Amino acid sequence: MDITWKIGGEAGFGIMTTGLAFSKIVSRLGYQIFDYVEYPSLIRGGHNAYEVHVSHENVSHLKPEVDVLVCLNKETYTKHQSSLTKKSYVIYDEQEFTVDGDFVKINVPFKKILADLKGQMIMKNTIALGASLSVLGAEIDELIKILEDQFSKKGEAIVNFNKNFANAGYDHIKNNYSKKVLKFLTKRESSPSLVMTGNDAFSLGSVIADSRFYCAYPMTPSSTILTTMASWAEKVGLVVRHAEDEIAAINTAIGASFTGVRASVGTSGGGFALMVESLSFAGVTEIPIVVFIAQRPGPATGMPTWTEQGDLLFAVHAGHGEFQKIVLSASDIEEMIEVTAEAYNLAEVYQMPVIVMSDMYLSEGHKSITKKFIDDFITNYKVNHGKLLKEITNGKSQITNEDQNSNNKTKNYLRYKITEDGVSPRLIPGTPGHYYQANSYEHLEDGHTTEEAQPRLNQVNKRARKWDTYLKIDFKPPKVYGDLDKAEVVFVSWGSNKGAVIEAQKQLKDKTNTAFINFTHLYPLNKKIILPFFKENKKYILVENNSWGQFGKLLLQETGIEIKEKILRYDGRTITPEYIIKNFKF
Amino acid sequence: MMEERLRRNILLKILNFKLKIMSSIQDFTGYSPTWCSGCGDHGIGIAIKQALVQMNLTPSDLAVVFGIGCSGNMNDFLNAYAIHSLHGRALPNAIGIKLTNHRLPVIAVVGDGDCYGEGGNHFIHACRGNHDIKVLVHDNGVYGLTTGQSAPTAKQGYKSKSTPSGIIEIPINPLTLAISSGATFVAQSFAGDPAHMIQTIKAAMNHKGFALVNVLQPCVTFNKINTYQYYLQRVYKLGGDYKKDDFESAMIKSLEVNKEKFPLGIIYQVQKLSYHDHLPQIKSEALVAKNRFIEFDKITKDFI
Repeated sequence: MDITWKIGGEAGFGIMTTGLAFSKIVSRLGYQIFDYVEYPSLIRGGHNAYEVHVSHENVSHLKPEVDVLVCLNKETYTKHQSSLTKKSYVIYDEQEFTVDGDFVKINVPFKKILADLKGQMIMKNTIALGASLSVLGAEIDELIKILEDQFSKKGEAIVNFNKNFANAGYDHIKNNYSKKVLKFLTKRESSPSLVMTGNDAFSLGSVIADSRFYCAYPMTPSSTILTTMASWAEKVGLVVRHAEDEIAAINTAIGASFTGVRASVGTSGGGFALMVESLSFAGVTEIPIVVFIAQRPGPATGMPTWTEQGDLLFAVHAGHGEFQKIVLSASDIEEMIEVTAEAYNLAEVYQMPVIVMSDMYLSEGHKSITKKFIDDFITNYKVNHGKLLKEITNGKSQITNEDQNSNNKTKNYLRYKITEDGVSPRLIPGTPGHYYQANSYEHLEDGHTTEEAQPRLNQVNKRARKWDTYLKIDFKPPKVYGDLDKAEVVFVSWGSNKGAVIEAQKQLKDKTNTAFINFTHLYPLNKKIILPFFKENKKYILVENNSWGQFGKLLLQETGIEIKEKILRYDGRTITPEYIIKNFKF
Repeated sequence: MMEERLRRNILLKILNFKLKIMSSIQDFTGYSPTWCSGCGDHGIGIAIKQALVQMNLTPSDLAVVFGIGCSGNMNDFLNAYAIHSLHGRALPNAIGIKLTNHRLPVIAVVGDGDCYGEGGNHFIHACRGNHDIKVLVHDNGVYGLTTGQSAPTAKQGYKSKSTPSGIIEIPINPLTLAISSGATFVAQSFAGDPAHMIQTIKAAMNHKGFALVNVLQPCVTFNKINTYQYYLQRVYKLGGDYKKDDFESAMIKSLEVNKEKFPLGIIYQVQKLSYHDHLPQIKSEALVAKNRFIEFDKITKDFI
């Protein structure tokens, strides 16, 4: 059994905090969650809604029906009544507005409780949480603990004051609706879980990968990485710079990476557009850099707080001139940790920009992730600096014997040395007895500028070989869900659509045999590895959250495979299982 | 036998010691400059090398970020750990180097179009942050490398290929801009006075915090107004009684540039914490030299 709880109210009145508190409480009670926030690009005056899908099992999609709808204002009811069923519970205050429909009405006198206890508007949320837990048959303990954590710094009086509102909501249900209480959220045994967003997962993945420098300019929906990293900076030992613009952000990170520190930047499409010039700069200087893009609907300012996958081709083709980059994407929170940590290794091993694609839906929605998954990942992850001439412990480079024996001590080190795999040894600036320049101009092996034809060819070909090496060694094929051999219908997708596609597969089980090919390593693509996934006599359907079918175009460009059937969505909303099934043509 | 070995060891130590502290102009000299004959950049290039030698630095001891322009072309003529950046972007690169390895002295060698035009926003914010980088600007009023269009410091009315009827905008005043934006060291020098440049660059290098050295630099090929003669008639050195730590008098002094009077020397200098001094996490060692953080439970607990 699973259930959806949704709370709505006016923007600026704590809906986000309340939703997250609900997710954490439910997670502590031993359930898995997946949540999503709807909000306009406003601080006050708009409508916010926070939806939590709770299940006994791992869950990563939203469901269309809302089982418990908490209406802190009338608009919540008006906007979301279409998702109610006969069995749905609607929590509202009769004194403020009336609701009319065939569902279970739960009247909670928010206004009266606030007046009686002399509370502020924001404490409506605490009453709502108490009432919600009560309706769902949960104990109140975890909510009380959260209030204690939140307010303990302000003293016991404040803690108790807030507890009163939680208890008032909780007891109101117990006293008035005891027969209607659901027995859903009873505490159950399960391994400890965390509640994280895609942005949190990128932040954690960065720390696991020993990335120490993050630089950004705030842009929805990537901004919480900047704030999370900044909150960790002193504790973890990171340097985080909120730069004057995205151009400065990526260039500060490039400077940081030059010194041998792992560095990244995060932004959305518009901010990435400003970074593109320097992506090319990182490409030719072969300075590793990880770029995180949380997509939102464009063009231009677009729909800042909604979701889309409209920047894939832009990311793939970003930058002037021909240089190498790797584009990866994550489909859920677990994969975001894996892909992020892998991105830092790839950036350093291949000395090139690595882009990690996310979108608003993945970046801002929370999902349960077991502590065990994180612990196991940390145990198995190895930081790979590639050909970095550096002794990690003291920040000084170590030069090979060959270099040391050379007579001319300052000219032996070749930053852009021609090698078979295309990767040249990288030296940490400050290493005594040496120097080199990272040159944005085309250069000789030693870094000096050149305009000669042959050295130009040598360097272009050297850099190109890095892609060959990557495709041979580190390119990962797409993952298949379902039985590809038996399937009649095969969905092809990437990124945050994964949860919806897998749920659609379950719902279609009785009608047809399906498989799902999900890509994480988006560019460059290894044609030889990918071709066997595309077989004759099967119906392939591309699922993407954009209007062009961008990954389809990329697949055609890189492999010659053309997927004619497409399920595309580009109204700012995420792909859902229902959307796939509705648009699925048998 | 023992004695001989001991003597040799001592000799080697002395030699090493001397090698370490004695660098020469030659050590810093890369390719031969491709600047026009008579260009002010020759003088600036020599002054930088001389200053570094006098400070007992070797090419391995510092990081230099070059912008794009005639000034930035020094990348091939000066030996050091270096980035030859993009046009306008040298300052954020320099900041990134400083924040991750603050033990390295960091210099940015840039031009006026580069630093006050394309990279103007970066310049303001580098001043605001009092980032501990030394910014040496070749200020010649023109874009030399793209054949002489007017630059942000060109005098109003200056005629160039891009402004055939004379530039409409008033010039940027680098000195007032830097001082009002929070720079803690603001100096001006002149490419025709190597001794003054060496002294000023050394003072900038020794300053803790953001340092601007705006070098008035004649472009002999494209700028027929701001010539050596032009500057020789209008520059003057600040006297010993000049109070460089007073904000208001520094602003007034800097405004003389608008009347084509060019004070040379340290116009403004105050002591304040650099940006990186505010970061406790890199107090004891540079970010690059720190051990890897592995106490992951300290951050995962926030998500439970």
